[in-house]
Amino acid sequence: MAAIELETLGKVYPGGVEAVKGVDLAIGDGEFVVLVGPSGCGKSTILRMIAGLERVTHGEIRIGGARVNEREPAERDIAMVFQTYALYPHMSVRQNLAYGLRNRRMPKAEIARRIATAARILQLSDLLDRKPRALSGGQRQRVAMGRAIVREPAAFLFDEPLSNLDAKLRIHMRGEIKQLHRRLGTTSVYVTHDQLEAMTLADRLVVVNGGRIEQQGAPLDLYRHPATTFVAGFLGAPAMNLFDAAVEAGALRVGDAVLASAVAHPGGRVTAGLRPEALRLSPDAGGAFHLDYVEELGGARLLHGRIGGQAMVAQTAVEAPVAERMALATDPADLHLFDPATGRRLG
Amino acid sequence: MVEHRPVLTALAHAVLILGVLAVAFPVWLAFVASTHPSTTFLSGLVPLWPGDHWRETYGQMFGTGISTSGAPPLGLMMGNSLIMALSIALGKIAISILSAFAIVFFRFPFRHLAFWLIFVTLMLPVEVRIVPTFKVVADLGMLNSYAGLAVPLIASATATFLFRQFFLTIPDELVEAARIDGAGPLKFFRDILLPLSRTNMAALFVILFIYGWNQYIWPLIVTTDERLYTVVMGIKRMVDVADAEPQWNYVMATATLAMLPPVLVVVAMQRLFVKGLIEQEK
Ligand SMILES: Nc1ncnc2c1ncn2[C@@H]1O[C@H](COP(=O)(O)OP(=O)(O)OP(=O)(O)O)[C@@H](O)[C@H]1O
Ligand SMILES: [Mg+2]
Repeated sequence: MAAIELETLGKVYPGGVEAVKGVDLAIGDGEFVVLVGPSGCGKSTILRMIAGLERVTHGEIRIGGARVNEREPAERDIAMVFQTYALYPHMSVRQNLAYGLRNRRMPKAEIARRIATAARILQLSDLLDRKPRALSGGQRQRVAMGRAIVREPAAFLFDEPLSNLDAKLRIHMRGEIKQLHRRLGTTSVYVTHDQLEAMTLADRLVVVNGGRIEQQGAPLDLYRHPATTFVAGFLGAPAMNLFDAAVEAGALRVGDAVLASAVAHPGGRVTAGLRPEALRLSPDAGGAFHLDYVEELGGARLLHGRIGGQAMVAQTAVEAPVAERMALATDPADLHLFDPATGRRLG
Repeated sequence: MVEHRPVLTALAHAVLILGVLAVAFPVWLAFVASTHPSTTFLSGLVPLWPGDHWRETYGQMFGTGISTSGAPPLGLMMGNSLIMALSIALGKIAISILSAFAIVFFRFPFRHLAFWLIFVTLMLPVEVRIVPTFKVVADLGMLNSYAGLAVPLIASATATFLFRQFFLTIPDELVEAARIDGAGPLKFFRDILLPLSRTNMAALFVILFIYGWNQYIWPLIVTTDERLYTVVMGIKRMVDVADAEPQWNYVMATATLAMLPPVLVVVAMQRLFVKGLIEQEK
């Protein structure tokens, strides 16, 4: 186990795409860090540079305190779990697990011991002699994790390991990964574009956007205090409503409607953020909220509509009354205010 | 096909049976002719059923050869053909899998040029470059040798291209997983690529073995020594006798026997062959 430090890490691909732009990140020993961000934001590139699969253009990577920029992937003491699992198709599960260890000339008995341990942890014992072709998606995923575990590496690197699984299995495997981390305590860097997966797994969440770190911190801190409109819109499902508004004498106005009062802001135009569950709606013929359509979630209900011409989504209880026009209110504590020019959080 | 109409089924079978007959009938005639005395065949009446003369014919083929027709004993010719076909098939596979490995998995200057040069040689089979190739082989002192028979035929753009196409389907992540598992290029080649290419190699082997076995012009040109004659050449020489009728029973016996090794190769490799042509291991 080891800490991983990234210092002003940058990557320019041949052809000039600047995929990563000066990323500083210190990952503590045993920490589970999730890199999350939209497609193409550079999170895989960061992970692949840590793994040594991609050459570092500038900056430095240290694993366990030692600079590893020039080291081959096999010399970095890391293990990686790929999105497509990348199991060797012609080898049995056992051989898949053993291959990396054999290449390091580990004694046979030690290899057998490690495979037995990993197989027990991951419930692979009955599958050891099968070929990957004869396994289900979830089982292949577990073999891929097994291949990482038997290495007993300083760090696990995961690149969207669950995105090829169906929704139910994904949630199950998410739990298993979490448990595994609790049990082994190995430093882990996990890449995903699924914000829910990110929230549930992370000790620390790192939101990446356009090759830069947008914000990092504990998942709940990011959820409660997003530093930018990007983070605000990215974390949470259904997504936070972000809309143009104005603060006048402590009242948040959208057009003629007042959504909240006693807002701690000197006044002026802002980008306001409100989570759908923070909105309280009540039928009102003169209300500012014009309902477009209703989405049933089973346990709750999403009301899609407009307020002052801007889209707005509210989450309500199933029992709550619904009408074409509704009045809308919220608690000032639930309100997020951002600078409309820079997108940065105000206050 | 999902349709189950009896008329269509019958028609399909009729076409297939016709096809089989068209291919098999000459082969059958060759076999029949080899079992009759040579006089039968010359009488103008072609028998449709095997005769009883086969013991003498085949016996002599394997034993002494037929001196009048200038062909060495059959066993020797079969051996030569086998050596040539195997060298060509295995040589082609070895060289082309290595070239494809280099082209697909390594970044080096002029990589694309190298690939296109290989590709261009598709337009230059032996028959086209026969004079310069002969000159080179002669200057290297390889006339009348197994090396002279096989080496000029070994470079293969087709096989390189096929392996390249297959290698390109191997996911990057698999290559990267192997790198993380500490497999260097040669280990990766041996432990991952070779086993994955098994079916492709088998399919190529069948095709290339037959290609090598059926070579005619090249062996004819580089060998003057009887001890290096291949069986395909032998057949031709037996037909080309001066001042006498060809001994058709011997010719046909040779042809029948010459067909056996390719058939055996196809039968033995059939399962892998079909697999290699139609499906990739996932
Ligand atoms: N080999 C490459 N050559 C050139 N550009 C590349 C290469 N690989 C990635 N890029 C570019 O770098 C940027 C970041 O790519 P990266 O794969 O890191 O994104 P990502 O965040 O992992 O996205 P996703 O969620 O879709 O996997 C993208 O704009 C991509 O087009
Ligand atoms: Mg990615």
